[in-house]
Amino acid sequence: MADTKRKNRDTNTKMARKSKTPRSSDKKVMKMGGDKRKKSGPHLPNAMKREIELLNPKIGSDDEIDSDEEFAGKDVYEYEEEIPEEESKKNKRYDPVENFEFELPKDFKDENVDSDEVDSDDFDDTAQNLGDDGEEDDDGRHARMLQEITGLPSDAFGGKKLKNNIVVSEAYPENEYNPSGDVLDGNGHISIQDLLDPLRGKSGFSKLQKNVDRIETKQMSIHAPLRNTDRKKLERKAAYEQSKKYITKWEPLIKRNREAPTIFFDEKTDLNFSTVGAIASEFEPRTEFEKQMAALVNNSEVAEAHRKDGARLLELNKVTEEDVKDHQDRLAKMRTLLFRHEMKAKRIKKIKSKTYHRLMKKDRLKAEAHQIETDPEAAKKLAMKQEYERIQERATQKHNNNNKWAKRILERGLAVQDDGTRAAISEQLHRKALLTRKMNSVRDDSNSDDSSDSDADDDVSGGSDQEGKLKMLERAKQKTLKVLEDDEIPNSGLLSLPFMARGLEKKKAAAEEEAKLALQEYEASIKQPEDTDNLETGTSVGRRVFGAPKQQIQDSSEKIRSNNYYGNTDSEDDYETKEDVDVRHAKKSYVRKDVTVNPSVLRDKSQIGHDDLFKSFDEIVKDPGTKTTYDVALFANNSWQKKQNQPRNTEQMKSKTEVDANGKDSLEVMEPALDEQEEAENDSDIEGTIRMVDGILSAVDDSNYELPSQAELIRRAFAGDDVEEEFEKDKEEILNEENPEPEKPMLLPGWGQWTHVQKKRGLPSWMLTEHANAKKKREEALKKRKDAHLKNVIISEKVDKKAEKLHTKTLPYPYTSQEVFEQSIRNPIGPDFNPATAVGPIICPPVVKRPGLIIKPIKVEEMKSYERAVEQKQGGNTRNAKKRKQKS
Amino acid sequence: MAVEQENGDPGKLRPTIEEDISEEMKIKQKKYLRGEGANLEVLQDKKLKGQLAARERLFDKSAMIAARTEKWLMPTEGGYMEPEGIEKTWQIKQESIAREVDISSSKNQYDIVLPELGPYSLDYTSSGRYMALAGRKGHLAIIDVKSMDVIREIQVRETVRDVVFLHNELFFAAAQKKYTYIYNREGTELHCLKEHGPVVKLQFLKNHFLLASMNKFGQLRYQDVTTGVMIGSYRTGQGRCDVMQVNPFNGVVASGHSGGTVNMWKPTSGAPLVKMLCHQGPVMSLAFHPNGHLMATAGMDKKIKLWDLRKFEVLQQIPGHAKTMNFSQKGLLASATGSFVQILGDLNGSNKYSRYMNHSMAKGYQIQEVVFRPYEDVLGIGHSMGWSSILIPGAGEPNFDSWVANPYETTKQRREKEIRSLLDKLPPESVMLDPSKIGTLRPTWKKNKPTKLEREAELEAAVAAAKSIPLKNKTKGKNKPSKKLKKKYEAVDRAKRPFLEKQIEEENPSKKKMKTESVVDDELPKSLQRFARKKPAT
Repeated sequence: MADTKRKNRDTNTKMARKSKTPRSSDKKVMKMGGDKRKKSGPHLPNAMKREIELLNPKIGSDDEIDSDEEFAGKDVYEYEEEIPEEESKKNKRYDPVENFEFELPKDFKDENVDSDEVDSDDFDDTAQNLGDDGEEDDDGRHARMLQEITGLPSDAFGGKKLKNNIVVSEAYPENEYNPSGDVLDGNGHISIQDLLDPLRGKSGFSKLQKNVDRIETKQMSIHAPLRNTDRKKLERKAAYEQSKKYITKWEPLIKRNREAPTIFFDEKTDLNFSTVGAIASEFEPRTEFEKQMAALVNNSEVAEAHRKDGARLLELNKVTEEDVKDHQDRLAKMRTLLFRHEMKAKRIKKIKSKTYHRLMKKDRLKAEAHQIETDPEAAKKLAMKQEYERIQERATQKHNNNNKWAKRILERGLAVQDDGTRAAISEQLHRKALLTRKMNSVRDDSNSDDSSDSDADDDVSGGSDQEGKLKMLERAKQKTLKVLEDDEIPNSGLLSLPFMARGLEKKKAAAEEEAKLALQEYEASIKQPEDTDNLETGTSVGRRVFGAPKQQIQDSSEKIRSNNYYGNTDSEDDYETKEDVDVRHAKKSYVRKDVTVNPSVLRDKSQIGHDDLFKSFDEIVKDPGTKTTYDVALFANNSWQKKQNQPRNTEQMKSKTEVDANGKDSLEVMEPALDEQEEAENDSDIEGTIRMVDGILSAVDDSNYELPSQAELIRRAFAGDDVEEEFEKDKEEILNEENPEPEKPMLLPGWGQWTHVQKKRGLPSWMLTEHANAKKKREEALKKRKDAHLKNVIISEKVDKKAEKLHTKTLPYPYTSQEVFEQSIRNPIGPDFNPATAVGPIICPPVVKRPGLIIKPIKVEEMKSYERAVEQKQGGNTRNAKKRKQKS
Repeated sequence: MAVEQENGDPGKLRPTIEEDISEEMKIKQKKYLRGEGANLEVLQDKKLKGQLAARERLFDKSAMIAARTEKWLMPTEGGYMEPEGIEKTWQIKQESIAREVDISSSKNQYDIVLPELGPYSLDYTSSGRYMALAGRKGHLAIIDVKSMDVIREIQVRETVRDVVFLHNELFFAAAQKKYTYIYNREGTELHCLKEHGPVVKLQFLKNHFLLASMNKFGQLRYQDVTTGVMIGSYRTGQGRCDVMQVNPFNGVVASGHSGGTVNMWKPTSGAPLVKMLCHQGPVMSLAFHPNGHLMATAGMDKKIKLWDLRKFEVLQQIPGHAKTMNFSQKGLLASATGSFVQILGDLNGSNKYSRYMNHSMAKGYQIQEVVFRPYEDVLGIGHSMGWSSILIPGAGEPNFDSWVANPYETTKQRREKEIRSLLDKLPPESVMLDPSKIGTLRPTWKKNKPTKLEREAELEAAVAAAKSIPLKNKTKGKNKPSKKLKKKYEAVDRAKRPFLEKQIEEENPSKKKMKTESVVDDELPKSLQRFARKKPAT
């Protein structure tokens, strides 16, 4: 590559020598070529470039060749976009140029970033060099002229010249983008000389010229830009410094927190209500019901009664006899109803007729199907179930004729089988198909539901068909009016009961209210569309038709639901009527609420009755239980006492007088003799008394106690004889037990003996070494024993497995040294072992925080280190200052 | 300026006073510090170091506070005797003491003469308020020594060899002729402890609620008095023994035998913790200092020896016999032989015990037992003619801690304390020579390698177990006899595997270990170690 380029350049130079075309145009073209190359993307192949260069011959000078090395160096980084040297200030030559660039448009910067810029620059140099000859004369003249006029050295015009520099620079980009006619023609080069020419004669020109000269003469080597990795390294370094600086401000805070044995999160913040009582005290009744309750609770009469002995409470709570009777009657009726219901259920359950049950099942399925249609919840559930079954089927492939039975049948051939089997097989396959069929998943279902719902909504509220809406409104209005008109109370059954009737009335009242509200709304909405202009084009009749049957279906389902709920109670019929009435209400949910509420009331009541009924029995049942246990306890106590007493009685019965005369006492008999020996050494002042006492004692005791047996006497006499020897033997034994001696090396009898070789050689060496090693080990173990240096002491080294649990198995985590750990636990920390004032900090947990307190993220305290130091000093000073103040 | 000068002067003076106080305090503080803190410089972990340092500071502070409050909590100082001129403390008789002391103290000097029912042994409750008496010939009594009321007196009409209070004055155990019995304060017999056999000596471990007994046949028994479970039953194997004492510091029971040995036992092991040859002749008596580090033994060889139990070495030998010995709370040692009582003490703080006081009973009185009364300067002496009580100044602890033992305890306090002590009951395993080691790292003992035979036996057992596992009947194809056999072999292999692995590991220790072993060459400096010729480990 480099070679080709060199060649290329050589040709260029030759060409330059030959041809004497205007330099400026030449140069310009070259620049353009550079630009082209730079513009990333597809490059011209080298051959093509050469061609172009041949077409546009350039002028090169001899010094051009010198810069070959540079070129080569540059070439390596040809495709790296680097900071141009002018920018990175690597090249002094470009200093003035940088100034120019300050005012250039932004995109101009790209032009200078040239991979081959050296190439073009070289041409620049050459161009300048060539232009020097004529230029220098002018410059010198001008300078001289200036000197003559002003009488100052030419350096004095430096400042001015600099200014002019900037002014001059503006011409450059203009040249670039508004090239001269030559350039446009394709044969023009613009040299610096060309640029300088128009300035000739202006102030500061000579200085500029000088600078240009200097740059040209003093060629400095251009440093290669830093490699990408190095640059990035530097960047990282700088970033690291920066972040380090940032992080260091956290350091003291973190350090303090780390070192603190306990971190307190501020206790001062007031958490809101801490107790139920506090919350309750803040309660204010808002709804009607709450207000009523509050009125009752805070009733002054009741409160006063409470405050007094409470006797008046009874008065306030007076119930009339009739009420009680009523209540009782009601309960009785309820019970009978329940009972009948129960009986009926029992009877139904007992029915064995298949047809009956089939019919029942059919009914139930129907109801379910309806429910699915109406109730999104149920539908969802069903969909879930189906989905699950499908997944299971897909996973297990249970009905895929995979099982043994199916395989066997298939093996034999289906044709051979009887009809039943075939049917079974086909049934199975059908089942599989059913199960694995991709269902409209839950989501789909719900979506479709939603859409249908929204459709229905559209009918009502959507602005698409105003007419339908109006009609709907009208219908709704009529219905509500109808509801308002008819208010029948059923005459028989559960609902005819007074409390039910009352409930119904109440509900009705509420419903009426609601209906009225709805009516108003309807009217308002009817009026509205009348007022506004209608732009409706067409209404879909089908939709409207669809809406109506749906409503009907819903109604019927409602009926069925209620039926199912109540089973076959007597009140069934009444409820249906009631349902009919209710269903006509616009609000579905309201109806449902009624249906669910009523039974709960019913059951509660019945339960109360039940409780009353069985309470007495409960008591009867309970009481004997406690009694019996009590009896048992008594019995147990007695027996225990008896047991206790028994031995004691027997003991008392025994009551013999026994005087012990055994070896223990005989020992005392021996003492006097010993004492007498001892007396000689004893101090003189006690001597007499002891002797006297002993004398008497021996006289007294002799009569009381028997002499021990001869053997005993002998044993005692020689008891202390060989004590030490015995002990040594003992110690030996124990040592052998705890550190057993190694087994002696032995050969099996007859093993290897027939050759007489083994006998001669003795035991194999490995056996001997093993034995020696074992022995050495034992010696070491014995030396390590605690009692190794204590001749008369044996300290057992047996492991007490029961006590093992009192020790830790391993060092707990942060500790590395056993000694430190053991020292750290030497001090007890409980309140029994420390003064009350000192216990607190000792057992303080590492984090103290009240429940419910939110821990905020840590914040840097903006305090500089010197400030802190100052503050610390001041803290000490202020304390002193305070004292001083007090004194003075 | 003037103000500053004023400030300066007291500042100069203050340190000297403070220093004095602080030095005094530091001595006192040391009492409450449990030894020095560890050397934290060893630690590499800075965090741990910081934590421990903070902790140490807290402990220091706590001890300092305790030292400061000491003067309020422990107001009374112990009594002592001050001889004048050439007077010696042991020359001072009880009569002369009686003249000097106050009336309440002089009440504690008495002799109760009960000549009929033989030599008496005594025991005090831990508070020193009550005393149990056992006459050899069946006389049992509980006495409130403060008011000198006899609370209950019973005659069991058989030999009573020893008596001991259980955790409070409500119960006491008496070693009678055949069995040991537990009575309550009213004299009602509560239990008959038949497993103990004919007991000679009884001891009660207060913190563990264990009743330790040594019977005629040299069998040591431990029974938990709260649950009634026998904790341990061990043969001492050294014949009859009537010298037994519990070390109040750690609950270790020491028994003195006719072979001159003293054995120390704990409830959970049959082998003695320590067996030491103390005397040439039989051991006559034994006593433990309350701090647990000092033991006094007396033998037939006419020597009283004081042992340091930390080193198991003799501290001091004193010539003399002692049939019974006892340490007081303040460390005075009473020893009695015949009718002569001698009190030894380390008077000037050194560990050298020297004669402190003497007392001789009337002629013919054979002393059975001497016991110091806790929290009083009183020594109770049970002898053949009843019992006596003498004053030993400086014997008892002057200040009591009502959480530990309260002589003025009310019924309610007693009940509270009973519950508390039951809750604080220590398990029998916690009896060990150094109880402060509890919670520390488990001592590393060498592994007792099983012998080859044992190993083989184990392996065989494992193989047999593996073989005996019945195989399940599998489905048709998998139930072939060949497969069954294969499974059996596999099971056996699996059982063998761990043993074989272990064997291999033992035979060829891993190369890493060998390397590390071979590298160790201590003689060379570290920098040169790498040039040392590496020898393979033998």
